[in-house]
Amino acid sequence: MPNKNGNVYGLTILSPIIEDAKATPSHDLQIRNYLAKLSTREDSPFALAPGTHLARLVVMDDVIYVGAPSSEEHLKSKYLIFESNCDGDLDSYLSGLAATIPDHLDAIWKHCVGYPGAANRQAFIDYMKACQLETTFFFAAVNNKSVSETLRALQTQTAVADFIASHQGANPAKLKRDFIQFVSQLKSMPLPKPGSMGPHREIKTGGRNE
Amino acid sequence: MSNINGKVYAMNAITPMKPWKTWILRLIFFALGHIKPLQKDLIDLSFIEFARWVVVPRKGLPFLGNGQSHEDLKYDYLLFFSNFNGTWNQYIDAFSAVLSRGLNLVWRWSEKFPGSVPVTLFKEYIARVQFDTDYYYTAYPHATANDVKSAHIVQASLDDLSELAEKCNPQQFADAYFNFVLQVQTHLGETSDAPVAG
Repeated sequence: MPNKNGNVYGLTILSPIIEDAKATPSHDLQIRNYLAKLSTREDSPFALAPGTHLARLVVMDDVIYVGAPSSEEHLKSKYLIFESNCDGDLDSYLSGLAATIPDHLDAIWKHCVGYPGAANRQAFIDYMKACQLETTFFFAAVNNKSVSETLRALQTQTAVADFIASHQGANPAKLKRDFIQFVSQLKSMPLPKPGSMGPHREIKTGGRNE
Repeated sequence: MSNINGKVYAMNAITPMKPWKTWILRLIFFALGHIKPLQKDLIDLSFIEFARWVVVPRKGLPFLGNGQSHEDLKYDYLLFFSNFNGTWNQYIDAFSAVLSRGLNLVWRWSEKFPGSVPVTLFKEYIARVQFDTDYYYTAYPHATANDVKSAHIVQASLDDLSELAEKCNPQQFADAYFNFVLQVQTHLGETSDAPVAG
């Protein structure tokens, strides 16, 4: 199924935006205005809801004319594109969005034609699926890891570098003892928050680019 | 509006295609999806985290009634979304240099596509058909595709060593640890803020 690559789902949704000459500002501008103020860090709605690796929201005003001899044509509606690279099953993902960030979803999609609101979970899922386009080809560099597994691995990567640096030349008994303790501490560390920039480290490794 | 979040760039592009040509493109993508060696160049371009192509038939845009007008389009459209590390110029340069045959195979069915080589005309075309991202989120903005791949290698190696550590004596562990360091040493680059262009 082209929408999936391994365990990652490539969701592509195009929601028609309400055309209303009396709306001031227009609905597409209201969406853009809301999105412009939305955090992209750990308090992003997509960080609060489970399962999003990367996502984007784009207002598509029109199709693009590439010049003669091709024909010029225009869309009758503007579309809100929601492109998400997320974990696993589509229904669970959409359900997770509706459960966790209904206010954000409503604030954005209320400007789209036929949007039922996130409060009615099944209507929301049905609406999103009605706006979904099938991905023709989907590529994922890493397709078998969840968001939390990737965040955990990135945390481990940093910690392992520090452990190795501080245990050069250690005797076998100490090395083993410290390693077992290190792994235990690592497992009990809280997962880094999605959307955060990871641990800040004072030590720089040096190199040609610094 | 920003096409960039941390170390990732979001590209959106849309190109018109004559409807009869989209079937050829679908066939190409079908082959690409099912014959994994054909994806080698795409995988080797290791700065792409996720990418997708979506063929939108001229009558295939979502229609929900409720006062929405029916679209009346002559062309099918090819949507392209990419999440890559590095700058726009680096990306297009690398695409053109490494994947030129593949790119031509995908985009030659689009109107006025000039070919991916020479790169100047290719860049002009991409710039024309690209549109900007209004909101862009990534769960790990400090990490590149290679960082993520490396992190999973480190995690898997650590898990193996951790399992072994419980069973062996200190000297056996020290030998295994040495092998572990050899395995992971090229995967320990630091992740942090993206570099800022001066």
